[in-house]
Amino acid sequence: MRTTRSMTATAVLTMAALAAGTGAVTAQSPSAMAPAATGYAELDQAMGADQPFAGTKVSVQTQWIGGEGENFAASVAAFEAATGIDIVVDSIGSSHETVLRTRIEGGAPPDLAMLAQPSAIIEYGKAGQLVDIATILDGAKLAAEHAATVGLYSTDASVWAIPYKVDVKSTIWYPIKAFEAAGYAVPTTYDELIALADQIVASGSAPFCIGMEAGTATGWQATDWLEDVVLRTAGVDVYNKWISHEIPFDSPEIMAAMEKVAQLWFTEGYVFGGNTAIVATPQTQPMDPMFPTDGNWEGFTPGCWMQKQATWYGPDFFPDQRTSGQPSQYVIGEDIGLFYFPEIDSAQGTPALGAGDALMVLADRPEVRAAAQYLSTPAGIEAWIAAGSALSANQTTPAEWYAGNYKLEVASGIVANATSFGFDASDLMPSVVGAGSFWTEMVNWIAAGGADTQARLQAIDASWPQ
Amino acid sequence: MTESIERVDRVGWRALLMPMGVLLGAVGVVLGLLFLTDRQAAANASAVIWDLVGNSSEATNLRRGGGDQTLAKLIALVVAVVVGVGGIWLFFAGMNAIVERLLPERTARKVIPWVFVGPALVLLAIFLVFPAVLTIVSSVTSADGLKNWEWALTNPAMLATYRNNIVWLVVGTAGAVGLGLLIAGLVDRVKHESFAKMLVFIPLAISLVGASVIWRFVYAWKPGGLEQYGLLNALWTGIGFDPVPWIQTPPINTYLMVVILIWLQTGFAMVILSAAIKGVPAEVTEAAKLDGATEQQLFLKVIVPMIRGSLVTVTITTAIVVLKVFDIVYSLTGGRFDTDVVANQMFLQKFQFGNEGRAAVLAVILFIAVLPLMILNVRQMKRQGLPT
Repeated sequence: MRTTRSMTATAVLTMAALAAGTGAVTAQSPSAMAPAATGYAELDQAMGADQPFAGTKVSVQTQWIGGEGENFAASVAAFEAATGIDIVVDSIGSSHETVLRTRIEGGAPPDLAMLAQPSAIIEYGKAGQLVDIATILDGAKLAAEHAATVGLYSTDASVWAIPYKVDVKSTIWYPIKAFEAAGYAVPTTYDELIALADQIVASGSAPFCIGMEAGTATGWQATDWLEDVVLRTAGVDVYNKWISHEIPFDSPEIMAAMEKVAQLWFTEGYVFGGNTAIVATPQTQPMDPMFPTDGNWEGFTPGCWMQKQATWYGPDFFPDQRTSGQPSQYVIGEDIGLFYFPEIDSAQGTPALGAGDALMVLADRPEVRAAAQYLSTPAGIEAWIAAGSALSANQTTPAEWYAGNYKLEVASGIVANATSFGFDASDLMPSVVGAGSFWTEMVNWIAAGGADTQARLQAIDASWPQ
Repeated sequence: MTESIERVDRVGWRALLMPMGVLLGAVGVVLGLLFLTDRQAAANASAVIWDLVGNSSEATNLRRGGGDQTLAKLIALVVAVVVGVGGIWLFFAGMNAIVERLLPERTARKVIPWVFVGPALVLLAIFLVFPAVLTIVSSVTSADGLKNWEWALTNPAMLATYRNNIVWLVVGTAGAVGLGLLIAGLVDRVKHESFAKMLVFIPLAISLVGASVIWRFVYAWKPGGLEQYGLLNALWTGIGFDPVPWIQTPPINTYLMVVILIWLQTGFAMVILSAAIKGVPAEVTEAAKLDGATEQQLFLKVIVPMIRGSLVTVTITTAIVVLKVFDIVYSLTGGRFDTDVVANQMFLQKFQFGNEGRAAVLAVILFIAVLPLMILNVRQMKRQGLPT
């Protein structure tokens, strides 16, 4: 699709501005929300001393449950306090897209909804089920503050969603203290990564922790791995052509990328638990062998040493916090760290793979507009950033908000140094592929230990809607 | 006779009350329904009450769409009960009275059954028959209709799906009914019969999704060397083998999921067959014993043929349930690892991929698969002398 390519092309490179916050437009001071005029009519009106919209309700549906859900709720709390508007959050979890589609088609949609798939957002927009953001916000200002991402959700003159949150996926989580104790260095090239993996195997451990079992959503992690490798072996132009199906799955470039992935996954001893573990371990658990059971890193050898996972991962998945509900004793930056998934072909540079969540507006009332306008500003995700787990899609977010937060500094550093940027391919492909055959065939490929690669890729091609 | 003379007398102004009542009742029901479907109406009503009590700020909140909705919900509840129960009562009572009093007796007797069954028939026609016909027609006549049928009938993934459904049908039905029959036969002689029956029957009360969660833990897998929290793998490694990722290993994963359904449905078969077995006259069993029949011969050659009617009914009912299985497959694998079934694929096509055409085709296929069983069921009921 021509539009998909122009969408992804828009997202290239300017992510650097996002990371460094070099937009450096008026920084929103965290605590002084109420008096500062935001320039948005309904939002300023709502925040006025008389709180004209107090007592009204705005419903928003998201897929964020657990720790993520709490962070989002904290992000809207300041708005609720300042305006008296009650934001009712529906945290749906993995059935979010299904429930949302049913509600929209059934004529009883929520007022606002978060969605990660630009293709689905554009579909809803073209079907007339969304309010054009350009009528709620100043289109030029929105484009300026979200330059890297706004193109993904736009068609012609309409903008169908407000970019809200961005995640970087090209990161590998690792145990800092165990690396130091064993004398391992963080790999910066693919060859170093393989050498480190061989070294770990020789020492009797497994280098990679991978677990993707997620019920109906099993397989999305496999697509992330492949996307990162395609960016590194074939480059962003081939990547974008792959998304728009100008290059089929069954092409030499994608086959070569699959072979690289096969090397990382199916080499004897590379993955903890073998390829069975990849599809049978629930996606909340693969990192467990990395942690000492008693919290003591002294003399502890992790069962596996590296997990490729996005930046939205966090302490709520660490085994102690996950099972007890109490904050984890492990600190990101001291016990657990992140490094960049190394470049493979230096000719393709150091690309960054990312994805994002955007806010759709489905009802047009003043209080809904005020809420949408608030969420388009950096303050709308501030509490989440403070919790150390989110990157704002708004590029005027002050750099100080990320400072001192190890994970966000790593993420923004990756983006700042990225030579190219790719948006998650499976989110941009038609859903029957991106959330269907791509996931299923990758899972089948893993279960078969990497056999019949070409047949799998051809099966995905065959399912592409004509 | 005296009745008809009395009826002639009564046709006067009093008789008009009945149709008036029905009319008023109908109007009331319609107004009630309008009230219930308007989101703001209940809130406005509760706002009126708050105004009367003196709390005007709460009233303004409610009128604006916010505020505490508890009173509004209570009002809506009362209206719903009055409209629902009262409206239906009024309709039936009124129609009954009208038909009895205004029509001659013979016609009345013919019309009354239709009065009582009528509303149900109308609702079934609107919500069941009409959509079914629409789905069948649209699956063929829509833009991609024939292409979707071709996909459904020739695509290898779909053929594997049908194969899975047949496995479910044969193994699931045979398993549930066979096990139910066995338990019903055995438990007949046990001292604590009701307790044993209750234990087998309890799983029927669990939702399919709940059962899937329970059995997901039973089938859970962890890499070798780690402690297995899945029951099956704990036993398996206890014997000395390596742990197996049961759910992710075709073809045994389908059979293990059928086990879940058998676990759920056996109670149903057992209860019905147990009642049927108890219905076998004692003289027959005694006569067979006197003739020298062993327990096994008694069961297989005397009792089972005598409960044939119930056996057939239970088998058909279980088969219909098995053909529609969705929750177990959706919760455990989403159809992956070669476990897909028609109902799961229909759901995915409609709700995950937004392809209504293919979902319609699969719905029709499921309907065609269940139809013979329904026909058998009705025939069986006729044979048993049940009103059909």
